[in-house]
Amino acid sequence: MTTPGFLEVAISLVLVVIAIVIARYWRIPVEKDMALGSVRAFAQLVAVGYALEFIFDLESPWLIILALVIMIVVGAHAASGRVKGIRRPFVITVSAMAVGSFVTIGVMVLARIISFEARYIIPLGGMIIGNSMNASALTADRLSSDLRSQRLAIESALALGKGWRVASAKFIRNSATAGMMSMLNFMKTVGIVALPGAMTGMILAGAEPLDAVLLQIIVAYMLLSAVTITSIMAVELTVRRFFTRCHQLQHDV
Amino acid sequence: MNPPVLDLKNLSRVIQSDGQPRAVVDDISYHFHRERVYTIIGPSGAGKSSLLRLVNRLDEPTSGEVFFHGKAHCDYRPCELRQKIGYLFQTPHLFEGTIRDNLLYANKELSDDEVKSLVEQAQIKSSLIDRPTDRFSVGEKQRVAIARLLATRPEVVLLDEPTSALDPSYTEAIEELIKQIVDREDLTAIVVTHNPQQALRIGQEALLMVDGKLIEHGEVTEVINNPQTELGRLYKERRLK
Repeated sequence: MTTPGFLEVAISLVLVVIAIVIARYWRIPVEKDMALGSVRAFAQLVAVGYALEFIFDLESPWLIILALVIMIVVGAHAASGRVKGIRRPFVITVSAMAVGSFVTIGVMVLARIISFEARYIIPLGGMIIGNSMNASALTADRLSSDLRSQRLAIESALALGKGWRVASAKFIRNSATAGMMSMLNFMKTVGIVALPGAMTGMILAGAEPLDAVLLQIIVAYMLLSAVTITSIMAVELTVRRFFTRCHQLQHDV
Repeated sequence: MNPPVLDLKNLSRVIQSDGQPRAVVDDISYHFHRERVYTIIGPSGAGKSSLLRLVNRLDEPTSGEVFFHGKAHCDYRPCELRQKIGYLFQTPHLFEGTIRDNLLYANKELSDDEVKSLVEQAQIKSSLIDRPTDRFSVGEKQRVAIARLLATRPEVVLLDEPTSALDPSYTEAIEELIKQIVDREDLTAIVVTHNPQQALRIGQEALLMVDGKLIEHGEVTEVINNPQTELGRLYKERRLK
């Protein structure tokens, strides 16, 4: 396989045209979204490509950290838009994602499994932050929704003298599980139902399959760690908004 | 008369309603003595349940204080306080599992005999102790909730419209059960009801609340049959909405 250039990308636009024609034939009103999405994907990815080349060439650790921080802030902003019923959810999503991502990357770097170079940290960080983003949004939104809808169940426990943590234990468990579920499902089916992106990319780039598999296993463990830490952080930060120090459930949060 | 078990001093709670502050409980002071049954009556939205929630500390007052055995609410650990001042909700919520699971959830130190005794007190068939509660009727669930309320061995019980979610045929039985339990356990009970006749049947004293304020109080028959205020008379004539 040749390394693709802009000409190959232009030719592959024929696939976008096929998708648009099919959508139009079936009267699915997504042609505009498809066309716009294709242009956006092209523009965003080309921009990222140039940005990565620039960062890789500089090899500055501060620039790597800055890139990770920007990715977390942008991801947390997108995640906070999916959390309903809490004021300023960005504080929750950004804190949860930052802890989940930096702890995971930190452990991998300190254990010398990956070296602190932009070409490793940035793509792996992207995968980690993307998964943490979903985990923080799903966890915080589910918990906020449950704590509002299950007021009678929670206050029945509080009124019996239970603390807020016991009274909301079931909802904490359910929301943390919801945040981790897609990752757990991925772990169950990885390699059987679908070949994951990192591994596919390496194989396409000419790496030995076994090397690609080993890296993919490390990536899966990293994602599991990041998603778990992020979900737990999101739970802790969300649930504390809903209870006062006197174990009272409040809804104006 | 014995010293008050509960003392409310200038208790108020203000909430934001449609962007405006509204006093749901407005400067209420009252003494509740041991082993008596108090009923709180008044039209919908009078603040009856809001007052009970402040006594159980499910909500925080905006001003004023509640004293339990002469000690301010805030000097107790909330969890310890709520075990001593039990709260029965209008609609019973039972936790997953059996009746036994629900009673042990409230107090994990209950012995087998104590579980049986509580179930008997709530007039539940002992054969149902280990039955999952999810298929129980609302009336049966309210009995289990009453047994669970007693499991923490409270001194005061707050009953928030305990029969309003029930079938009329069940109302009388639950009222009778409440009276028996309060007598037998030497409890102080504060019962919220929107029904003056129910207050007459189960209460000794009554507090009439309107718009968050305490309008009348005293012997239940006097408050309901012989009100001294204009609002009290309007309530008696069912002209208060």
